[in-house]
Amino acid sequence: MLKMYEIREMIKLVDQSTLSELEVEAEGVRIHLKKGAAGTVSVPVEQPVAETQPAKPAAVEQTQPAPAPTAEQESKPAEPTPAPATADVEDENLHQITSPMVGTFYKAPEPGADPFVKPGDKVTPDTVVCIVEAMKLFNEIEAEVSGEVVKVLVEDGQLVEYGQPLFLVKPE
Amino acid sequence: MKETLIKLFKDAGERYISGEELSRQLGCTRAAIWKHIEELRKEGYQFEAVRRSGYRLIKSPDILTPQEIQYNLDTERIGQTIHYFKQLESTQIVAHQLADQGETEGTIVIADEQTGGRGRLGRVWHSPPGTGIWMSLILKPNIPLKMAPQLTLLTAVAVARAINRVATDLDVNIKWPNDILINRKKICGILTELNAESDRIHYLVIGIGINVNAGPETFPHELKKLATSLKAESRRSFSRARLVREICQNFETLYNIYLKEGFTPIKHLWEAYAILIGEKTRIRTIDGEFSGTVRGIDEDGVLLLELDNGIIKKIFSADIPLE
Repeated sequence: MLKMYEIREMIKLVDQSTLSELEVEAEGVRIHLKKGAAGTVSVPVEQPVAETQPAKPAAVEQTQPAPAPTAEQESKPAEPTPAPATADVEDENLHQITSPMVGTFYKAPEPGADPFVKPGDKVTPDTVVCIVEAMKLFNEIEAEVSGEVVKVLVEDGQLVEYGQPLFLVKPE
Repeated sequence: MKETLIKLFKDAGERYISGEELSRQLGCTRAAIWKHIEELRKEGYQFEAVRRSGYRLIKSPDILTPQEIQYNLDTERIGQTIHYFKQLESTQIVAHQLADQGETEGTIVIADEQTGGRGRLGRVWHSPPGTGIWMSLILKPNIPLKMAPQLTLLTAVAVARAINRVATDLDVNIKWPNDILINRKKICGILTELNAESDRIHYLVIGIGINVNAGPETFPHELKKLATSLKAESRRSFSRARLVREICQNFETLYNIYLKEGFTPIKHLWEAYAILIGEKTRIRTIDGEFSGTVRGIDEDGVLLLELDNGIIKKIFSADIPLE
């Protein structure tokens, strides 16, 4: 039976070659690789799925608890995300700065440096308040409002969700 | 003028071009042509001049000027505008300024040397003169902000393919999310910075650093086990301009596919180049170290690590040390 890595190897070889199509039949499995017009490889998997999927990883994925796609379930199971903050968050007079993406929250430009902002700091709309990073894409988050930072709602290095409140700002 | 002159010589290949033909083609005097050729010689171009036959170009220098990169560059946007500097603190900083001032998508800032190159988390990126590619690419994609991290994986595939085009004998791999390795040593790092307002992307600046022609002896001792260059792995030198051109072309191809069809076709290619899939590994994140087996990436490009207790952990940011 063909292994996943063997199929990947084939994709790579076709990608690097001048071939536009490749069909392989071995041990009852047929694979047809075809390069798109622009040169990428598409993989219409024609073989019986059951044969190429090693049973184990598939089963493991199903044993995952709630399939919350973005949460870091097992590392902080007891922490109901920003629960303590919700009281503040509901304060209608305060502006929330929320995260535009899932990623890691950094309070400072580099480890050990001073934080971008701390409670009591005045911000303007273009003040950088933190960085959210995922897959080495660094997003400098700006305050987008003028006012005073009242509270930082997340810890340095914490995984934050899309739309999760990060700061509370008292607008001017 | 200089661009046209270089193109004429390159297109002519081995053939001599007479001074008369050059002056006709460029619409200037033969004295002016001679002056331009002298200037090009100072940049490192070598010409052979033969009486009654004319001139021919016998060697182009390994420089990253727009005319070298853009010669036969087959793209519509990527690399069509190039800002080249002998020395810069960081190409990222200049690219941000240009993007802020409205520079168009596909523009590249490139430097022969960086004095303040940066890596992840403020780490120093060693970028000595004349040996590497230190560049930043400006993008303005019309995609939801949460998809933007996928572009860092796309960039890795584009660079891996480009390296494979110029060094067909080397086995190029990608380590999640976007380090490029040869023989399990790092040859290229990619760092992307995003400028956005709420959910709207203003622009991205993708920084790419590649060790090309640095000799193995130039790596500091503590880096020797971790980093390498194309030259150190293959014992020959490469044209940096050609490699940049290949990056531009491969990037544009993949980017067009991505904008049309989404991440799935890119994911297939990324996995084909990926190292560590199916391997036991330790991953360092800011909230601790995790050991498990790498299961691949999900449809967002997030790393899936199967922990020893069987639970799949999603990794968004991490260092993956290689033994």
